[in-house]
Formats: sequence, C-alpha cells, structure tokens
Amino acid sequence: MGIQEQYRSEAASLLSSGEVKLVIGFGAGSTADRRRPLFARTGEEANRFVLDASCIANLSTYLLTEGLLSDGKKVGIFLKPDGIRSINILIAEAQLKPDQVVILGYAIENGQLTALEGRSVADFNGVNEKIRSLALPPAVQQDIERLEAMSPVERFQFWQDQFSKCIKCYACRQACPMCYCRRCIVDVNQPQWVNTSSHTLGNFEWNIVRAFHLAGRCAACGACDRACPVNIPLRLINARMGREVREAFDYFAGESTDQKPVLASFSKDDPETFIL
Amino acid sequence: MTRILLKNKLDDCIVTWRNAGYSVLAPVKRNEMGSFSEVQKASDMSLDLILPERTIKDRFFPQTEPMIRYKISKQQIDTETMTPPDTKSVCFGVRPCDAAGLEIDDPLFGWDYKDQYWFKRRNNSVIVTITCTASDDFCMCTSVKLSPESTKGSDVMLRPLSNGNGWQVETITERGKALFDSVSVHLSDEKAETAALAQVPVRFNVEQVMEWLANPTSFESQFWKDIALRCIGCGSCTFLCPTCHCFDIQDEGDTYNGIRRKNWDSCSFANFTMHTSGHNPRNTQSTRWRQRIMHKFNYYRGKFGVNSCSGCGRCTRQCPVDMGITETLQAISNLPR
Repeated sequence: MGIQEQYRSEAASLLSSGEVKLVIGFGAGSTADRRRPLFARTGEEANRFVLDASCIANLSTYLLTEGLLSDGKKVGIFLKPDGIRSINILIAEAQLKPDQVVILGYAIENGQLTALEGRSVADFNGVNEKIRSLALPPAVQQDIERLEAMSPVERFQFWQDQFSKCIKCYACRQACPMCYCRRCIVDVNQPQWVNTSSHTLGNFEWNIVRAFHLAGRCAACGACDRACPVNIPLRLINARMGREVREAFDYFAGESTDQKPVLASFSKDDPETFIL
Repeated sequence: MTRILLKNKLDDCIVTWRNAGYSVLAPVKRNEMGSFSEVQKASDMSLDLILPERTIKDRFFPQTEPMIRYKISKQQIDTETMTPPDTKSVCFGVRPCDAAGLEIDDPLFGWDYKDQYWFKRRNNSVIVTITCTASDDFCMCTSVKLSPESTKGSDVMLRPLSNGNGWQVETITERGKALFDSVSVHLSDEKAETAALAQVPVRFNVEQVMEWLANPTSFESQFWKDIALRCIGCGSCTFLCPTCHCFDIQDEGDTYNGIRRKNWDSCSFANFTMHTSGHNPRNTQSTRWRQRIMHKFNYYRGKFGVNSCSGCGRCTRQCPVDMGITETLQAISNLPR
C-alpha cells in the first residue's frame, strides 16, 4: 500500500472513530501539478486526499484559524518536517496545545515520499533532532550566497528592486504559520502605526517589520516565498535573520516544543555588545 | 488588403509616438515580475507573456495615489490637490481581458462622481490590444462571454501573423485610428495570414451561477463556509484583478503636514468592513469571499449591467492556495439543484 492510500485510510479511521473532528491535507488542484488544501470531516471525504511529491505547502497555518481549536477537539494534519518544525515553534510560543494535534508526517526526498513514524507531537523527537541539519534547497542556498557576495550598496539595490514590486496583499503574512496575530501591527489603525501605502518606502517598512518579527521564529518552509504573487524571494530575508539568531544565541527555532522563544526570553549570558 | 505592422517597424512606431508626446507602456518582465512599464524600444517588451503578473489597471488606478497635500498652521490650512500629470500614453500589447477590465470599471469610476484620476488617464490613453494565440489552464475569458479576440475596451486590435513577423492592424475607435494613421508610413499593405486564436474552453456556466447567486436563499448557504475554509485571507486575487477597484483613503504624515492618499483595499481583509465601534459585519472569511463573488456576478451587474470579471484567471493562477473565481463558480455550477 502506497503512502497516499495508507494516510487516506488512517485519516478515515481517525475521523470515523471520532478521535479527530477534522483532517487537513491535500486534494487535487486546478492543474495536474497543483495540490490544494483539503479539509475532511468524514471518512468518505478522506478518500479524496492526495499525497505525492507536489504536496509541498506547509498546512500548519490553518491550525490557527480563528475558533478552529477552541472547542478542545483534535485535528489531524499532513505535515513535512518543516511543518513539524512550525508546530514546535507554535507550541513553544503557547499558540497550540500539543495534545490537540495528530500528525500524519511525511518527508519528500528526491521526489520520493516516505511516511514519518508517530502521530502525536511527542513522537517526533527523532525528526526534531535532525531539524538543525535540514539543508535549504540548493537553489535557495545559491541565492543566499549570491546576496552575501554583494556589496551593501548592491544588496540594497537588490532589495529595493524586489520591494518596489510589493503590492501589500499580505499573502506572505497570511500563508505564514508564525504570523498568527489576530491584528497585525500594520492593521492597527488607532493610531495607524505603519502607513498602508504601498510605495517603495512603505513596502520596505512592511517587509522589514515582518523580517524582524520572524527573527528566530521562522521554520524556513518557504510558504511566504511561494505565496508571493509578484515573486519576491522573501525566504532569503528570513534565512539571513535565522542565521543572525543562530550565530548570536546558538538558537535554532523549532528544534523542540519546550524551547524558550529566543527573543522573548532573557539569560544572564546573553551578548550585550549593543549596550554602550 | 489590410494594414500590417511588422515587428521590425515597431521601433519606428515607438519613436514616432514618443516624439508626438506619448509614453509607450508595454508588458515588461523585470526582476521576475511582468508588469506594464514604460519602454524605449521594442526589445524592452515581453510580448510573449500570456499575461504579465500585474494588470494594465495599475496604470490607471495605481496601488497608492497622492490626492491632496496638506499643511496646517495656527493661521491657516493650505491644501494642494495633486492630480496625475497630463501625459498621453500608448498601452501596447494589452490582452483582451485586461482591456475589457478597463471598460468594465469605467461606469464604477464615473457613476455619481467622475473620478478625475481614472478618467484623466483613460482619456489620455490609447489601448493597443494583441489577440491571444496562446492561453494557459487558468484563462477563462470565454466563460464570462469574452474571447481571445474581444475588442471590449480596446482602441486597436492587433492580430499576430502566422509567420510571426508582425500583426494585422484593426482600428476600433477614432483614437486608435488616429494613433495608427500617425505611423502609416511604417505600416505595409499586404495580404497576410493571421495566426490561429487560442482555444479557451468554457469552464463554468455563468448564467447558471448568476441565477443561483440571485436566489435570496443562496446568501446564507453552507456552500460559502465550506469553500472559504481554504482561503487564507490575503489580497492577492483582488490586487491582481483587472476589475477590482476598492480603495481606502489614508492620511500619511502628521497632524500638520502630510499627504492624503488613495490606497488599494481588499474585501478579503478583515479590516475592510471594520466599523469604528469595533463591530465587523463581515467578520469571517466566508462572508468576505461571498461578498467578492456576489459583487462580481450579482451586485455589479445589477448596478452597471455587466459582470465585474473579464476572465484573466489571475485570481486562481497566483492564489497561494489554488482558489479563485473559476473554481468557486465551477463549484456553484455543480451544486445540487
């Protein structure tokens, strides 16, 4: 039995036994190579799940849909290691209760799918140990190196060209599991802290605000990048912020569920080089 | 005999138009994004794109537009109305769906108050459309009663020649005729075969959809809740839409100095209908998605006699979760009746 059939039947039995109220997975999309999020509430609906190498989206963002988990019931969800990493961060930030999530884990390597052992968050310690060594896709790594090799002036020009394309649709924010604020700072309008205008300066403001807020919290799933309708390589910013945090604090977001959020906690040994 | 514009004469046309005071806009792929930008020469254009990511609408209704500069002192309040510059433009290589989008939006911007920003640019522009010889899985013009050769919103229609060397010129309006008369020395008169049009399948039955939407019981249908589960609430579909036109007025600056701006807004955003009291009549994504569909295929038609969709398919093509007009309207067509 292939992994798709295995997970279809597992999802169906989770639903029919009443263990979970909903399973979030993938269904067929509008083209042969697209998959779209699918929400199954019955065993029958679970038969429509698709699981293959095109299932690259990080579905964990749906877990924080307003009201979804407020009844205390469990939800099943299809997750890759970067999705599991997201869940770990969300649990560490007290946004999710581990016992409300049933994970149908899978990994994609060289186009091949493998099922990950375990169903509860605690079962994935083996995956968590490997999270630090998860390599970024080679194309992303190349882009990072290209950016790092630039002079600050060239790099600024690069981001100016990219951010001038931004239309402030906030697809990056909405696709990101870590952007769970019920009211984002850019939507707070009494007073309006951040201008809504989508001119280049305003676009810089937005993208830098988001980069700062994701420092030490990004699961590197690339959802922002894929969501951007005007193709801004957003993950490059977050990768750099992740590196800064790793170098300053030896902290790697999402390695475990009991991490203390690095920029929201204090240690006597924290570097204080910025204090004059 | 029809007039032909050969590709190797396009540069001459651009020079003539620029010398006559036109800025020439065309699809340009730059930094991994296609949008309508000013070009100096034909080789700047990306005319092979099925559609650029951004619509031509952006050039008439920009994402942020300064309206008034204000300065307040103890003695007086100074305001200066900021209007777009009086430049004429040729929009070259527009697709029929994007051109139709402009005409669909005209009654909205000219309904009770004539929006000077929109109409100043509209009156100063000539839309030169190229018919589509290629389409993709998301194109859906034929589903909304348009086609790869519909002339709605166009001043000139160019039909690609089958030998790939140029276009057959068909002028639609006086404005379009004048523009091409000004370059008649660069056009040739010959008989040439035009390339086959793109075959865009009809993806949903729009009449059936309109009928369902107009039924008062549909407003509270469970359908909206089910389909909107997937929507993550970004504004990608609305901001890339050639007909979406909602905006918000914002003062940027401080109490004494600043600029009042007209900024794009989206019915997908939770803030869109948020009242000052804190009450939000559309407080869930399903009510917001319902509004988007109802507005396009029910309310807009009721007010202006036309659906607010020209079938470009960008909503689905660029949606992060593979959800757009086509898929929603297909689902409505398939509802049990």
